[in-house]
Amino acid sequence: MLNAEPMGETPHLLLVDDERSIREPLAQYLTKQGFRVTQTGDAEAARTRLTAYAIDLVILDIMMPGEDGLSLCRHIRETSETPVILLTARSEETDRIVGLEMGADDYVVKPFSPRELATRVKVILRRAAAGGARQHAPDSGSFAFAGWVLKSGERALVDREGVSVPLSTGEYNLLHALVTRPRQVLTRDQLLDLTQGREAAAFDRAIDNQVSRLRRKIESDPKTPELIKTVWGGGYTLAAEVTRL
Amino acid sequence: MALLIAIALFVAQAINFAMLLQDRRAARYETATGPAVARLVDAIERANAGHPIERTRGRLHQEDVSPVNPAGEHRPDVEQGLRTELAEAGLKVGKIETEVRDLHRGDPRLRRWNPAAADRAVRMGGELIIAVEQPGHGWLVLSAPWPRAEAYLIWRLLSQTLILYGIVLLPVLWIGRRLSQPLRSLAVAARNFVPGEVDVPVEERGPQDLRDVIAAFNALRLRVTAMLDEKDRMLGAIGHDLRTPLAALRVRIESVEDETDRARMAETIDEMNHTLDDILSLARLGRPSEPLTEVDLAALVDAVVEDFRDLDNDVTFEEAERLKMRLRPSLMRRAVRNLIENAIKYGKSAEVRIVADAHAVSIVVADQGPGIPPEQLGNVFEAFTRLETSRNKDTGGIGLGLALARAIVRNAGGDVTLANRPGGGLDATITLPRG
Repeated sequence: MLNAEPMGETPHLLLVDDERSIREPLAQYLTKQGFRVTQTGDAEAARTRLTAYAIDLVILDIMMPGEDGLSLCRHIRETSETPVILLTARSEETDRIVGLEMGADDYVVKPFSPRELATRVKVILRRAAAGGARQHAPDSGSFAFAGWVLKSGERALVDREGVSVPLSTGEYNLLHALVTRPRQVLTRDQLLDLTQGREAAAFDRAIDNQVSRLRRKIESDPKTPELIKTVWGGGYTLAAEVTRL
Repeated sequence: MALLIAIALFVAQAINFAMLLQDRRAARYETATGPAVARLVDAIERANAGHPIERTRGRLHQEDVSPVNPAGEHRPDVEQGLRTELAEAGLKVGKIETEVRDLHRGDPRLRRWNPAAADRAVRMGGELIIAVEQPGHGWLVLSAPWPRAEAYLIWRLLSQTLILYGIVLLPVLWIGRRLSQPLRSLAVAARNFVPGEVDVPVEERGPQDLRDVIAAFNALRLRVTAMLDEKDRMLGAIGHDLRTPLAALRVRIESVEDETDRARMAETIDEMNHTLDDILSLARLGRPSEPLTEVDLAALVDAVVEDFRDLDNDVTFEEAERLKMRLRPSLMRRAVRNLIENAIKYGKSAEVRIVADAHAVSIVVADQGPGIPPEQLGNVFEAFTRLETSRNKDTGGIGLGLALARAIVRNAGGDVTLANRPGGGLDATITLPRG
């Protein structure tokens, strides 16, 4: 628990948003959640704060007057490993992808739930603390496996003929979890953990159900699956080479 | 157009030539009768004075029988003219006969004429034989040149028309081509103009006026694109300006203590945001940023249905065969989603199925709701229409979903239709052309 950590270990967030009406209550909320929050209203001030403090994570609004969030994000990525979460008002998929290509770790679309944002901040910080290599943002890039390509931006699977097979949010999240961890055994609990929270949708339906739906889509014979294998007593694993495109 | 000009030219020429022919005929009449009368008067007077007329030589001679062939070509006008003129000269004559004969180069009589006269006579193409009866003295026979004008004139008409065609028609055709080619490419460009799509400007060709028109069209096209860009920027700004307070509100409601209240507020904000998304999508539809992609439509509908089922909605989908279509997947997802949303909102549940034949694919979303009064079936598509009367009131939301769904589907070349089922409930059908 973050609250149990000594004061010095309190994660220090830098919140950059030109909108006071969002920035101030959000800073308040995050402070209540046990973070130390420094807030600024523009990129210029953010740059000085970044050098002045040991910032653990930056929450960055994309649309700002003057230097915008994307440009600042690129600057942060060039100079440090500090994780970045983007706040975006844009719902267009392409705009999100651009942001993630700039090296952001995650994004939330306005209007967002502060709880969800806090959860993501914790996940990214935990990952960074574990010393793990910086993970690519969940929605960037494409993954090729066994003749299929999973396109993150479009949330679709593309087959050998180049025909796009749209996936439901649940299917996509599950497949994404598998594809980013090929040949690892993932228990149902782990999969539930990995697939939940990304969207507001509730994923009460059993992982097994999603798996069988996915198998129908990608296995040549769903009854004897070759790609998504059931591990006895454990869970599921993706038995294929995955290439990041 | 060229044909019209050709015909007009020919008619003008023909009128010219008809007038010329008239002139020529009058002149011919004069040249044929005038000298003939003088000669006749002279000969008769000389005969009366005791100088006999040579019987065989010269143009004027005397014969016992009229040489005029009754079956030949006669000129009654000349005969009449001669009679009048001779009467005016105080000479009394009997019958007057005339005949036009062709004169050929081989004619033996020509040899006796002087070469210049013979040549001219041949060029005229004919001679007029005039025979005047002197009662009791046989016939006075006279030959006069008779221009065979008609054939000659027709040839001239033809050749002159051809020359005119060469001089007038070819440049006209050339000018026409110079006009029509740029006009045609302008028409094509205007027809294919997709507002907002960056396109090469139409080449400015042809006469100055046309170049001006093309330049004006190019400028117009740029202005339309600029206006649409401006609209997009405006909508982006509106979206931003509305989302920001929504986002602020969304952050602030976390401080609401009451769990139920907070959830309701969050729901309302989500709904507002959803509507905002719809408005922005509807307004941006003319300039989709998403490319056309080969998509399995059955999987697309299945994925949308699955998302609804994940949220515990009563939506069923009859699994369908793989159905390859070329469309914009995110937009189509949204269209299907809006129809299903509508079905759930008013009919509590939705049954979705795909019907495909060789020419079209239909996605049918059937609900168990009250349906729509027939007289209102048409205007539910108008944005912001909601049928308060027959449909559930407390579900909220404006009728933007259907309008957006139809706009998306129409943009893809299809249509959305609504029909009440005989047994109750409404069928909303997306029809898309295949191939």
